[in-house]
Amino acid sequence: METKHVVVARVRDFPANTRRLVEVDGQEIGVFNVKGEYYALRSSCPHQGAPLCRGRVLGTNISTKPYQMEYAHEGEIIKCPWHGWEFEISSGRSIFNPHKVRVRTYDVTVEPPEDEEEDPSIPMYPVTIEAGQVVVHVPVQQH
Amino acid sequence: MTAKQGELFIDCDIHQRIKSPKQFYPYLPRVYREDIDQFGLRLTTTGGGGYLNGGAGGYRADSYPDDGTIAGSEFSLLKEQLLDSYNIEYGILGGQDVSPVSTLPDGDYAAAVAAAYNDWMIEEWIERDDRLKGLAVIALQNPKKAAEEIRRSGKHPGIVGVLVQNGARFPYGQRYYDPIFEACAEMNLPFAIHIGGEGSGSNGQPTPAGYPSYYIEIRQARAMGCQAHITSMIFEGLFDRYPDLQVVFIEGGYIWLPTFLWRLDADWKALRNQTPWVQKPPSEYVFDHIRFTTQPMEQPEPQRRLLSVFEWGRADKTLMFATDYPHWDFDSPELSLPAMPDELRKRVMLENAREFFKLPARQLAEAVAD
Repeated sequence: METKHVVVARVRDFPANTRRLVEVDGQEIGVFNVKGEYYALRSSCPHQGAPLCRGRVLGTNISTKPYQMEYAHEGEIIKCPWHGWEFEISSGRSIFNPHKVRVRTYDVTVEPPEDEEEDPSIPMYPVTIEAGQVVVHVPVQQH
Repeated sequence: MTAKQGELFIDCDIHQRIKSPKQFYPYLPRVYREDIDQFGLRLTTTGGGGYLNGGAGGYRADSYPDDGTIAGSEFSLLKEQLLDSYNIEYGILGGQDVSPVSTLPDGDYAAAVAAAYNDWMIEEWIERDDRLKGLAVIALQNPKKAAEEIRRSGKHPGIVGVLVQNGARFPYGQRYYDPIFEACAEMNLPFAIHIGGEGSGSNGQPTPAGYPSYYIEIRQARAMGCQAHITSMIFEGLFDRYPDLQVVFIEGGYIWLPTFLWRLDADWKALRNQTPWVQKPPSEYVFDHIRFTTQPMEQPEPQRRLLSVFEWGRADKTLMFATDYPHWDFDSPELSLPAMPDELRKRVMLENAREFFKLPARQLAEAVAD
């Protein structure tokens, strides 16, 4: 599938536990750094189309028996800003029905900075991940 | 047996009555006798007793015995008008006279009255006709004592469930009631909630808006209580804590169920985080654990509109027929329900109740006996 590569930010400018919102062909996409890993979600809740990726990034309460719960997955869950549906950022799966209710995810990669690739006359230095850029891969819509 | 030809069914709500509290004396501790002679059983009716009822004194006008006393108080008439007038496989007795025991101030007296009623029902009704089965009344003031009563009376094979009222001090999912559900699990008995007692004695108010003025209004408050108990049972994790527990709401209505469940499932998706032990949609708990009786069946026009409700509420699993004999709002086994597919009708009239109350099919047993 043909995809559009959209540069989101330099790694050094995109620290852990932050997010960036980008717009690609009129669709808002949220890119998240969750504990050093990058993930991207379509910013549209499957429920009623709320801008999902503008919701709070939180943990959630989990339980194995009535009246007992603990806080888990801190920083791994996004809660829809409208009705509070929770989604796992890494998979796009909802917490209440992970198999059937999901939000679209996109691939995210960290790639060497473009200018270093394009100008061979510049002396080469070891490329550190911090100098790289976070790129989200968005399938080109077929019309 | 003189069973009539016709559709075989189970009647999940029959009200047999006493003519006088003295009928309980053989089953009650001696200490209570003078008190009852002087002051009666001291039980209140719905709303504290100020509301009217319908029909003839609350009953079918034709259900009074020849002596003119109390409808439902003579076995022979109940047998003639109900058991032998229809092809009844089983009838489930819910009594009436002591149903409000849980609103009595004295919990020990309440427990004694409940036990006496259960023994009276077993000896004078259940053991008289093998079509009759009964629900054992418990007094909720002391859940441990109630559990003892479940283990005591529940030993009789004619006891097929435990009975409480819809009106309550607090909803039935709460941990206060745990000893009762432990006993139900141990005795393999379902928990039945019959409407009544809303706003009585120490129970909560009958509606969130307080006490309505008229009987027709308080009848509409029943569903509110049922809904409060259902949400309590689900969100307190009652069915997770007692995974085999089965519950029936008797006479609380049915058509509100699907819309109530739609709302509940939607809210749970948003609020799941607050009660994370509830790990499946609330409607699934209801379909797996809770049943409802038909009477008084709602009457949309045309009546076939009920079929959509039956589909949404999964009536093939959740709905069980009841007449409410001898009350004035008795539902005819023949004419109270809309025409529906045979298979669905058999579930509602017979099979759901057989499964719920764990009653064997009778026809085969009789064929063998003959």
